Amino acid sequence: MDPQLTSQIVPAEEIKVIEECLVRLAEDTGGNYVLLLDKSGQVITAQGDAARQDITALGALIAGTFASSREVAKLLREKDFRQLFTQGVRENIFISLIEDQWILCIIFNKGTHIGLVKVLTKKATDDLSVVLERVREQQKARDDVLGSSFRTSMEDTIDLLFRD
Amino acid sequence: MALINVAAREIHCKIVYYGPGMSGKTSNLQYIHSQVPKETKGELLSIATETERTLFFDFLPLDLGKVRGFQTRFHLYTVPGQVLYERTRVAVLSGADGVVFVADSQKHKLEENIRSLRELAVNITRQNKRFQDFPVVLQYNKRDVPGALPVATLDKYLNTLGWQRFEATATNGAGVFDTLKAISKLVISKL
Repeated sequence: MDPQLTSQIVPAEEIKVIEECLVRLAEDTGGNYVLLLDKSGQVITAQGDAARQDITALGALIAGTFASSREVAKLLREKDFRQLFTQGVRENIFISLIEDQWILCIIFNKGTHIGLVKVLTKKATDDLSVVLERVREQQKARDDVLGSSFRTSMEDTIDLLFRD
Repeated sequence: MALINVAAREIHCKIVYYGPGMSGKTSNLQYIHSQVPKETKGELLSIATETERTLFFDFLPLDLGKVRGFQTRFHLYTVPGQVLYERTRVAVLSGADGVVFVADSQKHKLEENIRSLRELAVNITRQNKRFQDFPVVLQYNKRDVPGALPVATLDKYLNTLGWQRFEATATNGAGVFDTLKAISKLVISKL
């Protein structure tokens, strides 16, 4: 099967490594919130202010911004914009691409210097690249993870919920 | 590609509604948003121009709850249909697991449908995916418009790959859930 059509399965032990990396980044920079997204906008995991309810929409918008910047890069004959910085009155967002698959995003306020964020995000990006490489290499069969009856149950749920 | 988070026991899938301008992509999402149970849907997010045309995308997260122990989420997006936003459509398509192609059944829109479908094929191929294998469901929308092209004519020009296709009138909801069910099941079958 086309590898681009298969799912990306992130095992529990790798999620733990990712979470430790995000916690370290938040603590060392003093950032409020750190997210790891897939380029499709799905949130892999997030660390920080637990009160945030809007992370699904945040993930979709940040990934959209990044995908849009990739197209701008192409028009400028630039290979890629690897990082994006958005400055607000209270909070700032720094976004960094991991390989071509994941997006690391840190939200921080005036108390944190952007230079520190850039340096520590680079380190985190390097660490997460190694994790991504491992996730890509492992070839777990879907049925091992989901169970063979998953599809039938899923179809029943779809029929139940998606109706007028 | 779909994302399976084993630790959180979550599955995320991305479905994109594609098609020419004014074919009814946003109307599909609005109808779904108005009908699904409150606990299933998130907020419908629209980035539109002042005249309510989609500028970047509409976004509707649907949470199907736990299925065999896995929290399953579908994220529905629309692309902006207007010709000038081609690069934006590429951006929204990034990482999609399946596409609903919303075609406009009106006679004078046939060429726009064909052009948009060709563009979709190019954009999917550019993502290193084989278009023939990619999950696509066709929706012939605006069936209520007088003089709508016969389904056989639309099939001839748009459905050369033999996808599942549904007739719809998105503004009153006809065919909207049939389309959504078909693409959801197709995406799940490819997980």
